[in-house]
Amino acid sequence: MSKLLLASLTLALTSSVAFADTIKIGVVGPFSGPAALQGKNFQAGIDAWLAINGNTIGDDTIEIVYRDLPAPDPAQSAALTQELIVSEGVQYLAGYYYTPDAMAAAPILEEGNVPMVVFNAATSAIVNASPYVVRTSFTTWQTSTPMAAVARERGIDKVITVVSDYGPGVDSEAAFVAGFTEAGGEIVESVRMPMNTNDFSPMMQRIKDSGAEAVFAFLPAGPATLGFVQAYVENGLKDAGVTLLAPGDLTQEPDLAALGDNAVGLLTTFHYAVSHDSPENEVFVEAASKAIGSASELSFPAVGAYDGMYVISKMIEATGGNQDAAAAVEAVKGLSWVSPRGPVSINPENRHLTQNIYLREVAQEDGQYINREIQTFENQGDPGWKAP
Amino acid sequence: MQTILSIGADALSYGMVLFIISIGLSVTMGLMKVVNLAHGAFAMIGGYIASYATQQMGLPFGVAIIAAVLGTMLVAVPLERFLYRRIYGAPELTQVLMTIGITFAIIGIANFAMGPTLKTIALPSQLQGPVDLGFRTIAAHKLFAAAVGVVVAIALWFIIERTPFGVRLRASVDDAAMAGALGIRTKIIYAVSFALAVGLAALGGVVGAQLLPIEPYYALHYMVTFLVVVSVGGAGSITGALVAALLLGAVQTTGRYLMPEYGEFFFYLAVIAIVCVFPNGLMGRSK
Amino acid sequence: MSETTLNPSASTPLWRRSVTRDLVAVLILAAVAVALFFLFPSNLALLTRIVAMMLLVLSLDLVTGYSGVATLGHATLFGAGAYAAGIVAAKFGITDPLLMLAVGALAGAAAGAISSLVILRGHGLSQLVLSIAVVSLAHEAANKLSGWTGGSDGLSGISPSALFGMFRFDLFGRTAFIMSVVLLLVVFVVLRIIVRSPFGMLCRGIKQDPVRIRAMGAPVYFTLVKMYAIAGAVAGLGGALSAIATKVVGLDSLSFTLSAEALVMLVLGGTGKLFGALVGTLVFVWFEDRVSAINPFHWLTIVGCLLVAVVLFAPKGLTGAAEAIWKRMRGARS
Repeated sequence: MSKLLLASLTLALTSSVAFADTIKIGVVGPFSGPAALQGKNFQAGIDAWLAINGNTIGDDTIEIVYRDLPAPDPAQSAALTQELIVSEGVQYLAGYYYTPDAMAAAPILEEGNVPMVVFNAATSAIVNASPYVVRTSFTTWQTSTPMAAVARERGIDKVITVVSDYGPGVDSEAAFVAGFTEAGGEIVESVRMPMNTNDFSPMMQRIKDSGAEAVFAFLPAGPATLGFVQAYVENGLKDAGVTLLAPGDLTQEPDLAALGDNAVGLLTTFHYAVSHDSPENEVFVEAASKAIGSASELSFPAVGAYDGMYVISKMIEATGGNQDAAAAVEAVKGLSWVSPRGPVSINPENRHLTQNIYLREVAQEDGQYINREIQTFENQGDPGWKAP
Repeated sequence: MQTILSIGADALSYGMVLFIISIGLSVTMGLMKVVNLAHGAFAMIGGYIASYATQQMGLPFGVAIIAAVLGTMLVAVPLERFLYRRIYGAPELTQVLMTIGITFAIIGIANFAMGPTLKTIALPSQLQGPVDLGFRTIAAHKLFAAAVGVVVAIALWFIIERTPFGVRLRASVDDAAMAGALGIRTKIIYAVSFALAVGLAALGGVVGAQLLPIEPYYALHYMVTFLVVVSVGGAGSITGALVAALLLGAVQTTGRYLMPEYGEFFFYLAVIAIVCVFPNGLMGRSK
Repeated sequence: MSETTLNPSASTPLWRRSVTRDLVAVLILAAVAVALFFLFPSNLALLTRIVAMMLLVLSLDLVTGYSGVATLGHATLFGAGAYAAGIVAAKFGITDPLLMLAVGALAGAAAGAISSLVILRGHGLSQLVLSIAVVSLAHEAANKLSGWTGGSDGLSGISPSALFGMFRFDLFGRTAFIMSVVLLLVVFVVLRIIVRSPFGMLCRGIKQDPVRIRAMGAPVYFTLVKMYAIAGAVAGLGGALSAIATKVVGLDSLSFTLSAEALVMLVLGGTGKLFGALVGTLVFVWFEDRVSAINPFHWLTIVGCLLVAVVLFAPKGLTGAAEAIWKRMRGARS
C-alpha cells in the first residue's frame, strides 16, 4: 500500500516537475468568411471532445487558441502559425481547412518543434510537406475512388465527369477516371467548370448531349451545390435516368435541407455521415450538436476535429506533456481506434487515416434529409498518395 | 438546331436574371452617381426576408416578395439618411470605402443573425415544375424571372421618362443646385430614388435566388457581376443594362456549353472588348 | 502634400529642404521599424506581411493617388511578382533572395506595363471594370497553368537560401523582417524622388487635367504606361517578398479581393501621399489581425464599422485628418 502511494506520489511529483500544467493547442480555421460553417464545425468537434473527455490529460490542462483564416491565404496562414508558435507558445497546431494554408504552415513545424494535425485540407501531398503532419480528415482521392466500383457494380459503362476547376476537383476527376477505366468503364468526356459558375443549365445540356449513362461530379460543399443539383433535376436528367454520382462534399448535411427533394436518391461516397449508426457516433453527435447549437449545422469537418483532438490527446499522453514533436508524431503512427465514422487507423507510412468509405443515398427520415449509408468499403488508404 | 435553341433559352433566362439583379445598381450609379458596392448586400437582405417569410412563417411567395422589397427599403432608409447622404457627390474612392464598410458590416450581421448556411425561398408549386417550350423544357422559375425582368424594365422606363417624379429626378441629377432653385426638393428625390434602387435590389435578390443562392457572402460574391453588367451597359441606362445583361448572359452561357474550362476567359475578354470599344458603356451618355 | 506648397520666402534652397525631409522621413520609419522589432518580437511574420502589403499599396498609390487611375485589379502586379519569384525558386533553383526580389520586380514591371495597355483604355467606372477583368483573367490563367503555379493548391517548394549566404530565414522571421524593412526604406526614398521629379509632377498634372496636359504636348498615355511599369516593379517586389517570407504562393495573391483590400487600405490612409499608403496598410492589417484574434467569429462587422467611421470623420483618410489637426494646432499657436 505505502509502496503504491509512494509510487503514485513520485509519479505525480515528477510529472508536475517535468512540465508546466497548461498545454496550448493552436487551431487555425475559417471561423468567418464564406466557409464559416466549416470553421464552426471545427469548433463543435473540439468542444464535443472536451465535453466528453474533459480538458485535462494527466496533470496537464488543455487550452485552445483559435485563429481565424477566412479564405485560402498562405501568407496570413504562415503569419498566424508563426505567431501561435512563438508568441502564444502552442505545443500543437491543428485545423487548416484549405490546402495552401496547410502547405504554408508546414515548413515552420520542424523548427518550431510542433506537430500539426490537419482537420480538413484534403490534398494528398500535404503529408509530404513535413514529417510532423498528421491528418485526421480524408483526401479527395480517398473519397472519390470507391465511386468507380459503385458505378461498375450498377452496370454503368459510360460516364461523363464534371468537376469544379481547382485542385480538389482535379484530384477527384483523376481518382474516378483512374478507377473507372481500370474497371473497364469508358469516360466519354471530362469537363471542368469554373469555380464561380452559378447557372448550370448549359452544363446539363452538355451532359445530355454526351450520351453518358451517368455523371460523376465534384463541387465543393456550399452554395454552388444547390444550383447544380437543381439544374440536374430541372433539366430532366434525373427523369431521363442519368445517374448522378459524387463524393459526399456535394451533399453535406447542412446543405441537404436547401437541396430538398431534388437531392433524394443521389449517391455519394464519403468517410462520414452524421446519420452513421454506431454508439460512438451517437455520443459524438449529441455532444457536437450541443456545441454547435443546432444539429442541422453539423457536418464532416466536426468529425475531423473530434478525431484530431483524440490524436493530440494521445500525443500529449505519450510525451507526458513535454514538447517533443518527433516523439509525439512517432507515438501515434499506427494508432487505431473507433471513431464516430467507424474504425480508423493512422498509416505509419504517410500519417494519414486509413478508414471506411461509405456509399450513401440521400433519403428522407422523420422529416429530415440524411445521407443513409448503404454500402461499406472497408479500410481504404489514400490512393492518391505518392511517396516523396 | 435544337441545341442552339436550347442554349438560347438558357442564355436568355440567365441574362434576364443578371438584368433584374443589376438594374437597381444602374439607378444608383447612373442617376445618383454613387458607386454602391453594398448593392449586393441589399439584395441579400431581400433574399433573407423572403426566405424567412416563406420557410419560417409559411407566407405565400407573392407576399414574401412584397415583404422583402418593403423590409429592405425600411432597412435602407436610415442608412440613406445617416450614411449615404454624406457621400453624394464625394470622390468615387470615398464612396467605395464607405459602401465596402457597409457591406462588411451587413455580412457580419447576417452571419451572426441567420447563420452561415444556405437559405432557400419556398416557391409556389406553379413555379417549381418544368415548362415545355416545344423544343425543350425549362424551369418555370426561370421564365418567371424573365417575365419580372421585362415588367421591371418597362415600369422603370415609364417612371423615369414619363412621370413628374422622373422629370424631377433627371433634373436633380443633371444639376442639383439649379433643380433646388426651381423648387425641387432634391433631398427627397434622392431618398426616394435610393429606396427605389434598394427595392429593386431586394426584388432581384428574391427572384434570382434560384441561381444565386442566399448566404452571408452573397454580398461580395456577386459584386463584380453587378458592376460589370452596369458598366458594360452604361450606368443609368435601362436599355443598356438590358442589352448588356443579355449579351453577357449569352457569352457566358455559350462559353460554358462549348468550352466550359475556358468559360471565364470568354466572359472577361468580351468585357474588355466591349469596354474598349464603348468606354461609356453600350448605351451610356458620354461625359 | 506639404512639400508641394512652396514657400518663396524660405532661405534654404528647395532641393536641400527635400533631402532633409527625406532623411527625417526615413529616420522616422526606421525608428518605428526598430521599435516594432523589439516591442513585438513574436509577431515578425505579421509585420513582414504588412511590409509586403505596404509595397502593394504604395504601388497602388502611384497609379491611383498620383496619376488618377482607378483600379480594382492591382493585385495582378503583386501576384506576377510573387509567382515569378516563386517559380524561379521552385522550378529553376534560383533561391538567392536578392535574385528572387529582382525577378519579382522585373515580372511586376512587365505585368504593369502590359496590363496598363488595357486598363488605360477606360475612364472612371469603365476603368474599374477593365481592371477587374484583367485581374480575373490573370487569376484564371494562374489556376489553369497549375503545372507551373500549383493552381489552387498553391505553389509550394520555395526554399530561399540564406541572405548573403549568412542569414537564414528563421522561425522567428527576423531575417525576413529586417530585409523587408531595408527594402521598404529603399523603395520609399526612390519613390519620394520619383514623385517629386518632373515626371512625377507630370503624372499629377495628368490626374488633375489630362486634356490640358495633352494640349501642352506631353505624351499622356506613354507617361502613364511608364508610371504603371514603375508601380509594377514596386508591387512585384512586394509579391516576391511575400513569396520569400511565406515560402508558398497562393491564388489569393492574384485576386480581386486582395486588390479591393489594397484600395481600402490606401483610401483609409489617404491617397496621393506615400505616408498615407504606409499608415493605411499598417492600421488596417494590424486592426484586422487584432480584432480577428479577439473575436475570430464576428470581427468583420467591426472592420466594416471602422471603414464607415473613417469616411464620416476622416474623409481624407487618416493622414489627411492628422494633417488637418496639425494645421489647426499650428494655426492656433501662431
